[in-house]
Amino acid sequence: MSEVSAITVKNLVKSVATQEGELTILNGINMDVKQGQSIAILGPSGSGKSTLLGLLAALDTPTSGEIILDGVALQSLDEEKKAALRKQKVSFIFQSFMLVDTLNALENVMLPAELAGINRAKEKAEAMLERVGLSHRLTHFPNQLSGGEQQRVAIARAFICEPKVLFADEPTGNLDAVNSEKVANMLFELNRECETTLVLVTHDLVLAKRCERQLLMDTGVITESPGEPSDGSALSSKPAPSHLASVEAL
Amino acid sequence: MEISLAWRLFKRELLQGQLVLIVLAITLAVLSVTGLARVSERLQIAINGQASKFIAADRIINSPVKIDESFIAKAEELGLAHVSSMQFNSMVFAEDKFQLVTVRAVGEGYPLKGKIELNSDSGTHSAEGTGLPGSGQLWFETRLGGLLAYPESLELGNRQFTLSEEISRLPDAGFNPFASSPVVLIRLDDVASTGVIQPGSRVTYLAQFSGAEEQLKRFESYAKPKLTSSQRWVDVQSGESPIADAVKRAERFLLLASLLGIALACAAIGIAAQRYCHRHYDVVAMLKTFGASGRQIRTLFGMHLLLVTLFGVTLGLLGGFALDAIITSFLPEEIAAYSPPFIRPILLGLATGFISAFMFSAYPLMRLLSIPPLRVLQRQLEGLQLGMWLHLLLSLSAMALLGYLYSKSLPLTLTVVAGVLLLGVLLSILGFLMIRMGHSIGMKTTNPLQLALAGLRRRAKQNAVQLVGFSSALVLLLTILALRQDLLSEWQNQLPENAPNYFLVNISPDEEAALGDYLKANTVKTTDIYPVVRGRLTEINGERLISAEQEKAGAKGRLGISRELNLTWRDALPPNNEILEGEFNANEDDVSVESGVAERLGIKIGDSLTYVIDNQRLVVNVASLRAVHWETLQPNFFMIFTHASLAPFSHTSMASFHLEDNKQGVILDIIKQFPTVSIIDVGTMIKQLRQIIDQVSLSLTLVLVLVVLASSLVMIAQTEAGMATRQRELAVLRTFGASGWLLRMATGLEFALLGTVAGFLAVIVAEFTLYLLKTQVFELNVYMHWPWWGIAPVCGALTVALLGVWRCRQLLSKSCADLLKAG
Repeated sequence: MSEVSAITVKNLVKSVATQEGELTILNGINMDVKQGQSIAILGPSGSGKSTLLGLLAALDTPTSGEIILDGVALQSLDEEKKAALRKQKVSFIFQSFMLVDTLNALENVMLPAELAGINRAKEKAEAMLERVGLSHRLTHFPNQLSGGEQQRVAIARAFICEPKVLFADEPTGNLDAVNSEKVANMLFELNRECETTLVLVTHDLVLAKRCERQLLMDTGVITESPGEPSDGSALSSKPAPSHLASVEAL
Repeated sequence: MEISLAWRLFKRELLQGQLVLIVLAITLAVLSVTGLARVSERLQIAINGQASKFIAADRIINSPVKIDESFIAKAEELGLAHVSSMQFNSMVFAEDKFQLVTVRAVGEGYPLKGKIELNSDSGTHSAEGTGLPGSGQLWFETRLGGLLAYPESLELGNRQFTLSEEISRLPDAGFNPFASSPVVLIRLDDVASTGVIQPGSRVTYLAQFSGAEEQLKRFESYAKPKLTSSQRWVDVQSGESPIADAVKRAERFLLLASLLGIALACAAIGIAAQRYCHRHYDVVAMLKTFGASGRQIRTLFGMHLLLVTLFGVTLGLLGGFALDAIITSFLPEEIAAYSPPFIRPILLGLATGFISAFMFSAYPLMRLLSIPPLRVLQRQLEGLQLGMWLHLLLSLSAMALLGYLYSKSLPLTLTVVAGVLLLGVLLSILGFLMIRMGHSIGMKTTNPLQLALAGLRRRAKQNAVQLVGFSSALVLLLTILALRQDLLSEWQNQLPENAPNYFLVNISPDEEAALGDYLKANTVKTTDIYPVVRGRLTEINGERLISAEQEKAGAKGRLGISRELNLTWRDALPPNNEILEGEFNANEDDVSVESGVAERLGIKIGDSLTYVIDNQRLVVNVASLRAVHWETLQPNFFMIFTHASLAPFSHTSMASFHLEDNKQGVILDIIKQFPTVSIIDVGTMIKQLRQIIDQVSLSLTLVLVLVVLASSLVMIAQTEAGMATRQRELAVLRTFGASGWLLRMATGLEFALLGTVAGFLAVIVAEFTLYLLKTQVFELNVYMHWPWWGIAPVCGALTVALLGVWRCRQLLSKSCADLLKAG
């Protein structure tokens, strides 16, 4: 693992206006993730995990604070530049797979490579699908694939552009135990091979424990999970909430 | 990359049936425009062609004096064919017999349109191979032969003519049962040698023209302003043509129906475009997440929509031409042979496809392109909301632009657009009110009706939008259906199956009984007998009237009618007459005057009119003004008196009857037994008129079919949109164990209720629309369509419910997970 930071977050605040007044979703988050590191963000529903993921991945704009992704300060970028940054450095895996129904497995995997203008996208996509064990399913459409297979296609798609950072939102959330295991193995294997930084949002403690670090979110505040090895790179300005045990129990 | 991805998405979505609705909507709009433009152009030419046979030309100048050579020179310059002719009355002599005849002296080339029908031993044939009478030859009408006992030759003025052919009908003979003198046809260059035309003789000079429509129009704009007050310009649509009215109304109907059909197809595109964009929300969010730039997304979906449009437009153009080919196969050969240029229908079709697809999709597309990437994590996020007004503005502009391109009439386009807008607003208000009126019912999941009512109430806003869609489709469908029916039945009434095809005129009072007996013995039923008294109108309110010739010679005074009129008496108002003002002949000295002639002569109710009949004066008072339907091919009169007024004068009678084709012997018998009675055959004319009406009817039916298709498409698109809002709810209920039957029933009932309300609203608005159209545009009788009040809600309910259930069945065949994901 490198000592260079992949993601640095300083005093990150996200508030939204509601009918009852302003609601603070993220309240002064500070964290640092090293290149090649894998971290899991755990927390109850509504704790702000997905909001944080959206901000880290340059999909959303914070109310205040600073995010530096692979050396680029996100607040200085407009939407087009953010899109360009995502194209070059970031990739995603979603709980609901987010495959395009009308494209087959191969075309779905090719999609980010084509967007990025990468040569020989088709050959790369074929290789990626072979890597996730779906070389016999190239021309199948999402509705002809099982949930596990769809997520493997999504994993192949996520790695085709060799991203610096991979954001995964509940990647096994829609899968049974057997498929979850398969998908997780594949995800971590590829992550290691490609030396990608992995930020994973999950409720699944088993999956979370396969990450090098676990961060706990609750009511907009993040803490390092106790009992896990820490290299001191993850910071939290606030004490851990008292009910973290319940998160652990998830 | 974007182009290949757009192509890939397009290909796959097309194969998977996801583009069916939007492609169909575009296809239908293009097909309607292309097909209708071509078919109506073809029919227009066909109708005008048929109609021009009635005047033996496309345009005529009718003049009491010799027509200036400059008109002929201009026509020649424009490449128009032309023929000059003269018409006058004169006596002909054969041995010791003589007869007043109407002489038609025609130049080479007559008739420019239509054919001269000749009689021969083997029946009727056209004079195509025969040409015109040779010099010194005369063609005569059958009854002249009877009156003069078929002589070999006769004298007209100083010239001896050989009788060579027997005329059955001249194409431009017109319909005038009072034309009591038989017609003879001679060459124009034979007139001078007869010496019958002297200075001051009453002659009608005719210059007939035919050619391409564009040249004719140029000629018209040149010639019309140069005509003197006594010269008349005649075309197929002049009031003199018996079918002018039918053609004008049909044209108006075709244009209106086409515009409404296009508006409906556009509405279908609008609804389909929204669905199309909505379905791509997740794809856009995903692409943005993976870093697609704004330009890439715009290019991708611009190309995608372009491909969809191109596909729809291509299908539409092919469909339009196929439609034209099908219709053409039903048309007579001479009309089918004419092929209007392709360019206008193609350009119109292309413009329609692209304008409607892009302008109706503009707002949904803007929303699609603005979908935030964060939607991948927060599914409820949507794109920018600029408000419906922008969508409405773009859609109405598209509709107006297309309407104008198609109709080339700004007022008509604006009227239709304003009407559609008004209809939308009215239906929205009514629909929303009706749904709000429903009592609040909780969400119970055991009873489909309660579930349906609850659904209706909860989705009041979406339902109001859907109601507008369903009702608009029904309103336009009902309106077009009713107008077509009314027009057809009106034409049918004008020319019923047993319309009189023979007229007997000049029946003397002492022949009346014998003729009646003869007809009765041969089971021929006369439809009407009118007494006819000839008289001249000389004074109005004591003021002496002058003729056109006198006026030309410088005489001062009120202009009258320069000929004897056929006067009749009736106890009751004849059919096809309508009192506009006053009361029909309540007093003995009352007279009823036709409104057109009253207007021309400045006659008002209460005026006293003086006639000279048999050298005696008769003074009567104008008690009523009448509208007369001249197009009915019935004997019609300018002046109708009471029996008491005309009883002192000598009269003849006229009768009309319908004779089957197989009873032609009766006519020959009448000619022999009653030689002084004139027989006029209008059967051929009726057949030609029917042919025109059939062609017009065909075009009306065609438009109706297209409107039905467009309405169905709007209904399907609207159901599709409606189901999309229900999908998640269906998924949730399904997940919680609601049976397929319960959900289908609830959906069916909810849609049935919507359909009922839509049908009911549609009838209200359609009756109102029809009232306006019938009174302001088509001059048709207004009446309520009571059966609709029952049929429309029931049909609306059934159609919409069936569509809903069908779509629901499709959705329920998916797994709950798929449903929840898609919803």
